[in-house]
Amino acid sequence: MYMLRIMSTLAWRNLWRNHRRTIIMISAITIGVWAMIFMTALMRGMVNEMVRDGIRALPGHVQIHGRGFLDDPGINNLLPMKDEDVTASFDAAGFDAWAGRIRVPAVVTSERDSRGITLYGIDPVRERDITFVAGDIVEGRFLEDADDSGVVIGRKLADNLETELGKRIVIMSQDPDNEIADRGFRIVGIFEARLEAYETSMLFAGKSAIQKMLNVPDRINEVVVLGDDYRNVDPVVRKVTDLVGPGVEVLPWYEVDSYLGTMMTVMDGFVLVWMIVVFLALSFGLVNTLVMAVFERVREIGLMMALGMRPTSILLQIVIESLLLLLLGLLIGNVLAGATVYWLRDGIDISVVAAGMEMFGASSLLYPQLTAHDVVLANVVVLILGSIASLSPAWRASRYDPIEAITKV
Amino acid sequence: MTAVTCIELCKTYRQGDQEIKALDHASIDIGEGGFVCLSAPSGGGKTTLLNAIGGLDIPDSGEVWIAGKRIDNLGKGELANLRLHKIGYVFQAYNLVPVLSARENVEFVMQVQGVPAGQRAEKSMAILKEVGLQGLEDRRPAEMSGGQQQRVAVARAIVSRPALVLADEPTANLDSKTSDALMELFVQLNKTHGTTFVIATHDQRVMGYAKRLIKMLDGRIVDDIDQQAA
Amino acid sequence: MNIVLRLAWRNLWRYPRRTWLTTGAMIFSNVLLVFMISIQIGTYGLMIDNTLEALTGHLQIQAPGYKDDLKMRQVVPDAISLAASVREGLNLQTVSARGAAFALASSEDRSYGIQVLGVEPMFEPGVSSLPGLTKEGRYLDDANAAEIVIGSVLARNLRVSIGGELTLLGSGRDGSIAAGIVTVVGVFHGGNKELDRGIAEVPIGYFEDTFDMQGAAHQIVINAGDYSKTEQLVQQANALLPADSKLVVHDWNALQPGLRQAIQADMGSAIFMYAVLVVLVAFSVLNTQLMSVLERTREFGIVMALGLTPGRLGRLVMLETALMGLVGLVMGSVLGGIVTSLFTVKGIYVPGMEEMAGQFNLPSRMYPQVSALTLIAGPGIVFLFTLLAAIYPAMRLHWLQPVAAMRAA
Ligand SMILES: Nc1ncnc2c1ncn2[C@@H]1O[C@H](COP(=O)(O)OP(=O)(O)O)[C@@H](O)[C@H]1O
Ligand SMILES: [Mg+2]
Repeated sequence: MYMLRIMSTLAWRNLWRNHRRTIIMISAITIGVWAMIFMTALMRGMVNEMVRDGIRALPGHVQIHGRGFLDDPGINNLLPMKDEDVTASFDAAGFDAWAGRIRVPAVVTSERDSRGITLYGIDPVRERDITFVAGDIVEGRFLEDADDSGVVIGRKLADNLETELGKRIVIMSQDPDNEIADRGFRIVGIFEARLEAYETSMLFAGKSAIQKMLNVPDRINEVVVLGDDYRNVDPVVRKVTDLVGPGVEVLPWYEVDSYLGTMMTVMDGFVLVWMIVVFLALSFGLVNTLVMAVFERVREIGLMMALGMRPTSILLQIVIESLLLLLLGLLIGNVLAGATVYWLRDGIDISVVAAGMEMFGASSLLYPQLTAHDVVLANVVVLILGSIASLSPAWRASRYDPIEAITKV
Repeated sequence: MTAVTCIELCKTYRQGDQEIKALDHASIDIGEGGFVCLSAPSGGGKTTLLNAIGGLDIPDSGEVWIAGKRIDNLGKGELANLRLHKIGYVFQAYNLVPVLSARENVEFVMQVQGVPAGQRAEKSMAILKEVGLQGLEDRRPAEMSGGQQQRVAVARAIVSRPALVLADEPTANLDSKTSDALMELFVQLNKTHGTTFVIATHDQRVMGYAKRLIKMLDGRIVDDIDQQAA
Repeated sequence: MNIVLRLAWRNLWRYPRRTWLTTGAMIFSNVLLVFMISIQIGTYGLMIDNTLEALTGHLQIQAPGYKDDLKMRQVVPDAISLAASVREGLNLQTVSARGAAFALASSEDRSYGIQVLGVEPMFEPGVSSLPGLTKEGRYLDDANAAEIVIGSVLARNLRVSIGGELTLLGSGRDGSIAAGIVTVVGVFHGGNKELDRGIAEVPIGYFEDTFDMQGAAHQIVINAGDYSKTEQLVQQANALLPADSKLVVHDWNALQPGLRQAIQADMGSAIFMYAVLVVLVAFSVLNTQLMSVLERTREFGIVMALGLTPGRLGRLVMLETALMGLVGLVMGSVLGGIVTSLFTVKGIYVPGMEEMAGQFNLPSRMYPQVSALTLIAGPGIVFLFTLLAAIYPAMRLHWLQPVAAMRAA
């Protein structure tokens, strides 16, 4: 312990002998750490937003379908149990939020034009907690109940169809016997979404009205369940699986939308690689600084060894010196990154490349997001790799021959 | 028991294709409480011999015994321990750790030895006073004169009361007045504590203080004079 | 060799370890930059080509507003003859007229909303990769036959195979009901879910009859062969439009705004990352050169006393830095080129790439593209910043007092 104290004192004072070099090195470490954390926060912000948006744009956290639904998402893959049985058992299970839907591909026709869309027959009261649409109505109203005979469509779709609030549209789809089922609906609400794709491809109607139109009374083909954290949905999957038993497919969101799912994992990999790359770029300067520091002190290192200090203590001293350097850089870098993220808490507007971000599935307002996990990761990467990098100069110092070191002029 | 015994020490350095015999069958015996000067012209092998005695350097052949213990076959760690606990060292120059104050330099060895802080402070203050540096305890080496620096080095060498102090041309960078003061300090320490001193020098003035004068030339012991009788 | 050059070179190697560590930082960054920029260039090119060659082409002639609204009545009149005259005027075979409509496609037991394209069987292969990707059955060959080619996912969803019949139901040019029965003659595997799920092609003559187009179509698609020729063709095509027509020519950037913006967004984040690397290298250089100047204070003092001006000494320091930077540049470019070349044939696979790549019409491996630009761009900028970093150390010489310098330790 006392050894550590002397070593730390010596290391600290030695650090400030060449203050210019130390300050330059600390600045470099600071910039590196800042870049590690800030870049990660930006990427995390983007991906998390994407995932949250994606989840709100329907998958929920866990989805339940009849087997084969994902391959053939339509009226032919209904859930084996009745709508009311689902309601009874899911309500009893006490989920944060859940909703049953009937979801089919359909063609919507206005007086002017037609488009292919996905039609969602929903229970508006339950969906309020799950989909984004309820909160994003810009004109008119959201659906009121499952029997509502109106529809809610996206702003862009309304424009494409040259229709508007209050006008009628015709929805065409098929019933289980592949008879064309069509019905006119009045547009009661128009929503806007952060991604244009949502606006053009989603159309919402009351569940009962759709069941009637498609001739499937009291049947649904999708149930979505919301847990409390999208990063931890496995318990929900287990609970739902126990509840519904075999014969249906229970999928977490990251399997329903594998692009979003992979984004998360790819992100984790990217973050680590980025941190290591920045560290490596730093490491040359760090090792260089230590090599110079050791080189300048050949004599006193020799002296200390001549006085009886063990090589391991010398090694320790250099490693501590390196750690002090790193800790100072980390401290400032962390604070700076935190401050930058705070300063940008209202988001960074990159709408000049909005259409491009939409291709990534991301919106054009970036909110950097600082997570404890990433900050700890950056610090651990720097400290561990930093210690390893300083071992080489430290080892050299501890191998000095005291006589040569002392007699050197 | 003798403080230092060297038996037939040999050490050869190669410089290009030239072989230099820095130690050539050198044997000496120094009793406890001795005050010995090693004198030789520059390049005579003084430093090599001191380093062999101090366990800094291993001779090619021969034996080195310190206080009844053979040391030339010890490992690096044991040698470090030996220097730490049994031997005080004063070098020609560059004796002090630049980032430590006078007191910290003196305490440094004790700290490595693991002496508790209270005791360390007491001892270092006392020893700095003894070498005449009262009031300069908190100065760093760069803020002291050459003589003052050497006194700090001496204080550090003797503070943990080693049985043996090795000094390699301790006065080489000092003026004559300071040299005399330093030598008088050595003599006094030798008298009061019975510490054995081995001082390498080629300075006539220093040799005058020695009880015993060992002369070397080209790595050989050429003369051994007891000066007390005279 | 020039004596000053020789002096600078020798000074550089006074402490080989330090110089190698500093050039090491440059080489590391340069290799990384060459590698990354090569991947970017390779990927962007592929992304543009793959996205455009599927359907969009490099430029299209459309009615104004059509690209945003995709309305049935925003037509190009007399499309087939206009396409023929453009083909002749541009002296380019890869020009084809195309109509587009949304319709409900029904097989015996399934219905899906899809986009139906009416194409010229003769010329469509020149502007789209889908005909070539029709591996099951055959592509269309008769301009008037009631035949259809559909995507592989759509075929699976509709449960039809070659020879099966589909009913199309949509609205015609004037909003009236359009219906027809077609035989499936081919299935294409476009490699992109969106295409494979939602696109079908019929002969343009049949399309005109069914959707009541009266000789009109929606797009005249032109494939420029190479996207860099787009600009020039846009001008030529504009000149070929009938004098009284309101038609417009859009380049691919206007047709797929997401494409360029996605590239820009990706480049933005890449530039941030590269900047961090470059700055870290600059700090490394600053540190080394400042130390090198400071430790030579005494030496500089002496030569200044001999009559050398600080300016000349400053230039010496810059020359040393330039030499060091040159070593880093050459070694970095060469090493980067070699490393990158190793991957140009086999490509690079990153876990999770498939999902990401699918989003951008990319293969699941990345193929870097080495060129003079990718070899020199990154290392060149590193070199520039290396020189910038040496300015402060060189400037310090101006403040040097010979007498004080000579006494320096
Ligand atoms: N590391 C070494 N390499 C080569 N020759 C050395 C080395 N150390 C000492 N010598 C040579 O050994 C001889 C004795 O040196 P030294 O013991 O330092 O003499 P002194 O201390 O008496 O001046 C000298 O000739 C010296 O040049
Ligand atoms: Mg000597």
